[in-house]
Amino acid sequence: MEVSRIRSEAPIGVCLALTFAAGCTGVIGAGGGPDGDGGGGTINDQVAAQLCVVDTPIRRLTRFEYNNTVRDLLGDDTNPADVLPPEEEVAGFNNQAGAYTTSDLLVEQYMKVAEGIAERAVQNIAPLLEGCDPGSQGEVFCAAEFIERFGSRAYRRPMTQDDTDRLQGLFDFAMADPDLGTFNDGMQLVIEAMLQSPNFLYRAEYGTGAPVEGDVVPFTSWEMATKLSYMLWNTMPDEALFEAARNGELETPEQIGAQAARMIEDERARDTIRNFHRQWLLLTELENVTKDQNVYPNYNAGLRPLWEQEIETFIEHVILDENGSLDDLLTANYSFMNEELARFYGDDVVGEVSGESFQRVELDPTRRSGVLTSAALMATHANLNQSSPVFRGKFVREQLMCDSLPLPPNDLIIEPPELDPNKTTKEQFEEIGADPACASCHALMNPIGFAFEHYDGIGQWRDQQSGKPIDAVGEVVLTEDLDGTYDGAVELGQALANSPQVQECVASQWFRFAYNRSVTQVDSCSFDQLSDQFAASNFSIRELLVALTQTNAFLYRRMVTAEEGSTP
Amino acid sequence: MLRGSLYGGTIAIGLPLLDAMLPRPGAAQAGAAPKRIVFWFTANGTRQDVWSPPANMDLSGHPMHASLAPFSEKMLFLDGVDQDVTYDSIGDGHQTGMACLLTNAEVLAGTLFCEGACDGASPSYVGWGGGQSVDQYIAREIANDVVTKFRSLELGVQVRSSTIWSRMVYSEPDKPVPPREDPSQNFNDLFGDLDTDPFALELVRKRRRSVLDAVMEDHAAFSRRLGSDDKQTLDRHLQSIRDLETRLDATGVLGESCSEPLVNLPGSNYQQNDQYPATGRAQMDMLVMALACDMTRVASLQWSRSVSNVQHNWVPLRLNEGHHDLSHYDDGNADAQADLLAINRWYSEQFAYMLGLMDAVQEGDNTLLDNSVVVWVNELGKGNSHTRRDIPFMLAGSAGGYFNTGRHIDFGGEPHGKLLVSLTHAMDKPVNSFGVPQYSQGPLPGLT
Repeated sequence: MEVSRIRSEAPIGVCLALTFAAGCTGVIGAGGGPDGDGGGGTINDQVAAQLCVVDTPIRRLTRFEYNNTVRDLLGDDTNPADVLPPEEEVAGFNNQAGAYTTSDLLVEQYMKVAEGIAERAVQNIAPLLEGCDPGSQGEVFCAAEFIERFGSRAYRRPMTQDDTDRLQGLFDFAMADPDLGTFNDGMQLVIEAMLQSPNFLYRAEYGTGAPVEGDVVPFTSWEMATKLSYMLWNTMPDEALFEAARNGELETPEQIGAQAARMIEDERARDTIRNFHRQWLLLTELENVTKDQNVYPNYNAGLRPLWEQEIETFIEHVILDENGSLDDLLTANYSFMNEELARFYGDDVVGEVSGESFQRVELDPTRRSGVLTSAALMATHANLNQSSPVFRGKFVREQLMCDSLPLPPNDLIIEPPELDPNKTTKEQFEEIGADPACASCHALMNPIGFAFEHYDGIGQWRDQQSGKPIDAVGEVVLTEDLDGTYDGAVELGQALANSPQVQECVASQWFRFAYNRSVTQVDSCSFDQLSDQFAASNFSIRELLVALTQTNAFLYRRMVTAEEGSTP
Repeated sequence: MLRGSLYGGTIAIGLPLLDAMLPRPGAAQAGAAPKRIVFWFTANGTRQDVWSPPANMDLSGHPMHASLAPFSEKMLFLDGVDQDVTYDSIGDGHQTGMACLLTNAEVLAGTLFCEGACDGASPSYVGWGGGQSVDQYIAREIANDVVTKFRSLELGVQVRSSTIWSRMVYSEPDKPVPPREDPSQNFNDLFGDLDTDPFALELVRKRRRSVLDAVMEDHAAFSRRLGSDDKQTLDRHLQSIRDLETRLDATGVLGESCSEPLVNLPGSNYQQNDQYPATGRAQMDMLVMALACDMTRVASLQWSRSVSNVQHNWVPLRLNEGHHDLSHYDDGNADAQADLLAINRWYSEQFAYMLGLMDAVQEGDNTLLDNSVVVWVNELGKGNSHTRRDIPFMLAGSAGGYFNTGRHIDFGGEPHGKLLVSLTHAMDKPVNSFGVPQYSQGPLPGLT
């Protein structure tokens, strides 16, 4: 087996400084000391590189995670973080550590959002006190009890004396102030401060302080509980995770894997699955789709939410209710629809569908192939008034094959061909693609897109166009294992599902989303392990999620060298 | 929803007269009004063939700018100013056009903006913009002299996600600044406390100060344990909290022209395509009032983003397509050309609307517009070629008499960095060069 499957040849970022070209064992405690030509880093750098341990910049809650967290922490389901400025979208996802910027606006809104949440929280304070009665047990007592108990859930770790002193001080200030002075005032200020605390907003990870080798350390059980919950649930840990953390039961890969397996069965995993696919499959672009109703009389804006619900229901079903196989995702001949949507798909739907609720339907296996041929994807990757072999080919190449395409020349005038009633879309795009100025790049896209020519600009099946039969023979070139011709999307879908390049691409997309950073050269053993486990599970995305908790990239970090040197 | 016109003259909000709400000595009086600067962005280039004004500056009858006719004596049309730096920079036309526009700095290398595997360097991968934008430079300089409610105010109209295509304002290299996009939220942030009882207001400040003090202590303890990169991230956060606390007391100055504006606020659907005009108008209403109230001296209004594909259906259009798609048709496509003219004419009307609001605010013998410079910028010259030469730069207002307005000047190929330098001079925070020195050797000649 080759050492690394990571295809990038070129160096990137700081990680390169740690790249260690020699054999990457990935086995903690396997020895294999530095051999002296590891690229000039310290011995610890070389050890970390050999073990494929890369640090991730500190993470901050995304708006989605913030909303989920206050829902689980306080029962506040108002999605208050929606008003925060949007996350930076880099490397295809909005949760990439190190890409966040902190603006004055963000900090101002953190304050106002926290004020709103705290105000709502104290309107019904009793549940937060969990039985403590300020009247009989004393306001100061109940506040202290709240700070200790609630604080450790908000900060996702035991409170320090420093934490409680500070929050207690704030409570005392409010109680002593003649303009404030009530118990609720004090509680409100305490909650506001907690929600603006870096301990709430950020996820700091320091590790145990006990190196397994070099300066490589595992995480504490508290840190691991938080890592697991934000990776698999996009929210804070539940009581079972906190309990495991208290008992130090999140130390071995087996303990961690068992928790992951439990967590995937939970409803909260659904949020994460949806969040990932919305970004990976570019479903967020659906809301910007418009179509020319002169060309597509069957289109109306009310279809978009149905398309969206269809693809999301299908994805969640495949991954969480079935065995989660990538093959199903790309090739299944069933989906979920209501009557209106089934009418839209017409003859492609086998049997009758009635009513407004979504139900499972069987599809013509010669015409439909999983998410690939869904109206959501077909309509998004199309023009206003025609299908777009360019956009569809680009989508497959970039999102499914993880290839990057060169930019068009700087001053090139790009315009889609105008509708020509005498030609098929394929004929028109073949003419453009033949232009030598375009051919070198468009050969990478257009011929893939031709395989989707049976689906018009809104994703409805067509047998002919401009009075001519549809020619859906597509071609894939310059790939690792997919080169060849394919007659239609069903045939292409089978090939994509069985392609190691696509399988690896899916693993790398999940790596990026789950670990909040891109794959680096140092990650080779973690990534190889992930790929192997993915393959061993017959490419089950469910199993991939568990496998993500078993890599060195997830299980270890390097000891923090704090500038002012205080230790945990 | 608040209805009515901004400066209708019938606004009657009962306000307690307080010392803190009276105009500051010297402010809003003849000759002493502060200078303000506003950047106004629209996307995808323009119709360069019709953009320029006639020699006599009479804009009535101009195919694109007729609505600006009342202000032509207060304006400067600049032809032949190029974003030279974008041709040295990595990144595509829209990326560089956007990220270099106010920074005059090359785009940073990196893999942040990537397609496919994103796991290695590629000629098509880039990072964020590589410099501080000139508005932020000016805002930080002004903040040394005076504390306003906002150091700078960034407003957006359907800008949406945060990427290199959507950010032109940078607090420092690699650090983009997001605009405020929700008009209702914006209204509360700007004017929510204007008519609050002063004692209640003081209580809010006291509470906020106490909480922020605790949060800042918390930050100090938290940061101590972090490695250096993470510590920098948290230090930036802490600095923003410090700045926020400093500005808690600054509410704006209520004067004759400053009051809670009556704004037609679009609802929660402000991001819908058909709400684009209403959202833009609400943001302009609030931006102008924020300036009139001296809540900030530096502002920007960003309509959509580079590669904007807003459908300007209300114009109306001949081709029912998004702005970016329309901008890609060949110059010979008459329908697309007509639509592009109509879209840019509509933006010109919006520009005129905002200038009208500013010109109606009297500040001594001058108007708010006279005391300001509003700079209309665009990431491209023209959409289909992606050229960053001959960007349609337009200035309105003389920045308190600094600019010699009422003219059209063709610079025949000066780098736009010089325009940025000119703006620092106009705002009395002069620099010799801004961004890449090669493309900003002093101010543009002949503007003053």
